[in-house]
Amino acid sequence: MSTIETEATAPESAGSVRWARRREVIAEVLRNPLTVVGFVIIAAFLLMALFAPLLTEPNQPDPYQSPRDWANIDSPPGEAGHVLGTDSQGGDVLYGVIWGSRLSLQLSLTVVLTTVVIGTIVGSIAAMRGGRLDNLLMRIVDVFLAIPELIFALAIAAVLGPSFRNIILALAAVFWVKYARIIRGEIIRIKQSEYVAAARVVGDSTWNIFRKDVFPNSVTPMVVQATLDMGNVVLIGATLSFIGLAQAGLTEWGAMVSAGQSGLLAGEWWVSTFAGLAIVLWALAFNLVGDGLRDVLDPKTEGR
Amino acid sequence: MTSTSQADASVAVDSVVTLHDVQVHYPVKEGLLQRVSGHVRAVDGVDLTIPRGQTLGLVGESGCGKTTLGRVVAGLVAPTGGELWFGLTADQHEHVNRIRAIAPGERSAEDQALWRQLEREHRLGSMTKERHREYRRNCQVVFQDSFASLNPRQLVRDIVGRPLRVHREASGSEVDARVVELLERVGLGAQHLLRYPHQFSGGQRQRISIARALALNPEFVILDEPTSALDVSVQAQILNLLVELQQDLGLTYLFITHDLGVVQHMADDIAVMYLGQIAEYGPTDQVFFDPLHPYSRILRDSNPSLEDEEVGERWELSGTVPNPINPPRGCRLHPRCPVATDLCGWSVTDALEHVETAAPAVFEHIDAVNRSTDFLAEVAMSDDASAALMAREINSSPAGVALTQPAISNGKVVSLTLRQVDDAELLPIRELRSSACLRTQQQGVLPSS
Amino acid sequence: MTEDWLLKVDDLGVQFHSPRGTSQAVDGVSFTMKPHETLALVGETGCGKSVTARSILRLVAQPPGEYSSGSVQLRNDDGSVTDILSAPERVVRNIRGNRVSMIFQDPGKALNPALTVGRQLAEVFGEHRLGMVLEKAGLPTSRPGGTLVKIAQQRAGWLSVRLFQLFRRDAARALKKAMDDEVASALADTGIANPRKIMGSYPHELSGGMKQRVMIAQALACDPDLLVADEPTTALDVTIQARILRLIHDLQQRRGTAILYITHDLSLVKEFADRVAVMYAGRIVEMGPSDQVLKSPQHPYTQGLLAAIPRADTPRGELEAIAGTVPQLVDAPPQCHFASRCAFAAQACHGHIPQPTVVSEGRLVSCFRFSRAEELDVSAEEMPQPAEAIGGGRR
Repeated sequence: MSTIETEATAPESAGSVRWARRREVIAEVLRNPLTVVGFVIIAAFLLMALFAPLLTEPNQPDPYQSPRDWANIDSPPGEAGHVLGTDSQGGDVLYGVIWGSRLSLQLSLTVVLTTVVIGTIVGSIAAMRGGRLDNLLMRIVDVFLAIPELIFALAIAAVLGPSFRNIILALAAVFWVKYARIIRGEIIRIKQSEYVAAARVVGDSTWNIFRKDVFPNSVTPMVVQATLDMGNVVLIGATLSFIGLAQAGLTEWGAMVSAGQSGLLAGEWWVSTFAGLAIVLWALAFNLVGDGLRDVLDPKTEGR
Repeated sequence: MTSTSQADASVAVDSVVTLHDVQVHYPVKEGLLQRVSGHVRAVDGVDLTIPRGQTLGLVGESGCGKTTLGRVVAGLVAPTGGELWFGLTADQHEHVNRIRAIAPGERSAEDQALWRQLEREHRLGSMTKERHREYRRNCQVVFQDSFASLNPRQLVRDIVGRPLRVHREASGSEVDARVVELLERVGLGAQHLLRYPHQFSGGQRQRISIARALALNPEFVILDEPTSALDVSVQAQILNLLVELQQDLGLTYLFITHDLGVVQHMADDIAVMYLGQIAEYGPTDQVFFDPLHPYSRILRDSNPSLEDEEVGERWELSGTVPNPINPPRGCRLHPRCPVATDLCGWSVTDALEHVETAAPAVFEHIDAVNRSTDFLAEVAMSDDASAALMAREINSSPAGVALTQPAISNGKVVSLTLRQVDDAELLPIRELRSSACLRTQQQGVLPSS
Repeated sequence: MTEDWLLKVDDLGVQFHSPRGTSQAVDGVSFTMKPHETLALVGETGCGKSVTARSILRLVAQPPGEYSSGSVQLRNDDGSVTDILSAPERVVRNIRGNRVSMIFQDPGKALNPALTVGRQLAEVFGEHRLGMVLEKAGLPTSRPGGTLVKIAQQRAGWLSVRLFQLFRRDAARALKKAMDDEVASALADTGIANPRKIMGSYPHELSGGMKQRVMIAQALACDPDLLVADEPTTALDVTIQARILRLIHDLQQRRGTAILYITHDLSLVKEFADRVAVMYAGRIVEMGPSDQVLKSPQHPYTQGLLAAIPRADTPRGELEAIAGTVPQLVDAPPQCHFASRCAFAAQACHGHIPQPTVVSEGRLVSCFRFSRAEELDVSAEEMPQPAEAIGGGRR
């Protein structure tokens, strides 16, 4: 009897209520104009990466090497059919910027996703188990954190040898510790909360408590950090390729800035500038979004 | 420390929970190596029986250990010492008390078997898995802060339905039907099923907490300050609801609160806690109108009331809460008690603490304190003059009353001998009443000031 | 001027703006305080009592807050009147601390964790009681000299303090001693047994009760005419609450300070307040001498509030709860905000805002049960049942 009543008085479904909640949050996030700007820039980059083969003819056999127009080396923007000019090897800068967005996306997504997963697992185990294991894992994290990210990544990449894949590996090796630390702190805080105590009183299993109570309430700061890191990873990755840790001629923005550097003194500003601009915009966009998310999802950590 | 106290007076009654000498000591770690330098005695030797079908009020001020004790009973905090029994009948209770009194090595085979069986079925920590599950179902908690005790990311349907799912009481659409029933029981309805906790007022959230606690038809609910975050008008709604539920469902309550007005209204019996121990236990009205522990009287006198009748002289608590790592000897209240005498357990520490606050200049001249016991010590001073001052300060301190002979300085050394007093225990004073006040235990009534 | 008032709050309105709308947190609150009297402002969470208290010192953050109407007038010693809401910031800052002090609910947050208690109090003395301290130290009070003032106000740098100690050793010593004595005696006044030891402590080393005493010493250090105490004991245990309240009361008796006492607990009012104003949803619903209001409450809300408090003789489970919850004040309609929970509510209550009506000497009630139909321009059937003559109320 009451089932029918339930049906009658609750026309909404749980799913629609949850969606309504999410929509509220999204609306709140989008209220900040800077966040919207960030989203627009990110969307532009994503479209660029997605439609790269349509925007420019992929180079054969490797699309991540700029096609060489040996007839027009160092040509300035707008001349000889090169909208953003060419570099000293005749590589088209526009092509590089467009295909570089694919590499940046690949770099940041791979690094952030893998490190979030690793960091979450390590941090969660440390926080949930506690005791000696926690102590051991956190000391390892401390060692990692004691060395500046860039220098550590640089050392790893240098040992592994110059290639784009090694840059990804190096960055992944460095970034996971941050997430481990963040999630551990949050889990320890949430574990003290009364709703976790309430779940224990009900008799639910530790895994269920982790899954339903602890984890969903602990992820927010990590989501914010991951968003910020989508930008940071590209920034550090570009630094590594700038100093020559990527293959030569790669359409990686950092590598392009490096390649254009020699021409700067000769007044050939366009190569480094456009590639550099792409890096800056990318990092800026994710920082804007990350900050916006933090303000909405996690107001108390503002300005941390 | 094993207590020989039988102050729960274990007049065998059917109980939902029985505590025997329960302790919760948290280690205090210090320094780089995290060496344990002492223990915070949050709960320190509590005997308590929660009789079936009644409301037991647990009152005390912040830091007295009442919340920790509630969490021990709820199974959320493991006691570091003592026994916690669940669902003992009067007969079983008698057996437990009888066998416990026999040293483990001297128990007959029969007793040993019975003890083991009782432990398996009733003692928390030794129970079989099945029995533990039963205990979980039967013992639920309503927390103080309804905002913190409801997962902000779950819908009411999931919060209230969770116990049903965990214990496989219901599944699928059955859960929703049961949840609606529960919500209606606490004055909410089906329209609240698909809402998040933040969409409710404080009183409504507390109703959701109560609905969750009732989901498994428990016989025992721990109410940990259920109304102290609420306004009075809403508090009245919740208290009425709790009474109604108790009458309809035959619930047993452990009502933890600092609010004397509320506990007086709600509880049949009350236990007054001070510094990790129970100071007084007895029927609520009797404890209110004829307290048998100075602390109960101070609590009552401090409680603002709208009643017109004059209580006469008001007793006050002096000083501040002592360090729970090293609580006072004898009666724990004595350094702050308005009616303390030499009987109450003044120790060397009390005397020196007095000197430290009253005459810091003298205190600075202490070279060494050689304690033979807590009541017997020699204080070496840096010079003769300060030793004489020290002796004078000690004699005039509150602890001075307990000196077996006045402290005198002998050269640089001041020796002091205080009356040795055993630590206070909760003892029966008269029918249904027990008190841990050493003077009340001697005189049978609350000492007058 | 023969008027005998210290503070006059007139038609005070405070709004808060948020994306969801405008909420009228304080709506037309008026009351007058005489010198030396204690007025309790009582109400439940969100009724606007704290916002009212903060408005008196113009402490409501703007935005999101906004003073939408009214004035807060403070009478000066020479008989002139300052409107705190419209006065220049410099004047208001001078009033804060010098003439009106405030004690907050959480003493921990109001003290600076990085300074010792003695130092913080010395700052207050240096700022507000400089002349007295200098006089006690036997130093010239008329033109004390910049360094001396800075040192007394604890604002001098390390070097200038050292130089001063070097060249004017006697003055430095005398100043330090006078300051320490003042601070110690202010602390001792609040019942602290060992003020010298407390002076050397940092706030985190003190218990809640002790911190609240320090706050009181600090608030009273400048001998204000009015002390605003916003739930000063809510965070404390009952045994300490009684001591702190009695302490404030005693100090008031001795110094003749007026106290505006904000609380949610009606049972504290009886003992510690001369008059009480009960607030509900931003408005004062009833005001009068505390013993009379507590004995024969006239507004249905006050009646409900009193009946909801458990008493020794209330049968268990039969507390008279007020049904429903406090209404949302975001863009609230112009009506009696209590109407939705009121047993007497009639049609008239939903269409008009009740105005304070004098029901007997010194007693005001804002309820249509005390109005006549003609005043509202409605028919008699739309009016709630009229209240009985005063004294015939419940209890």
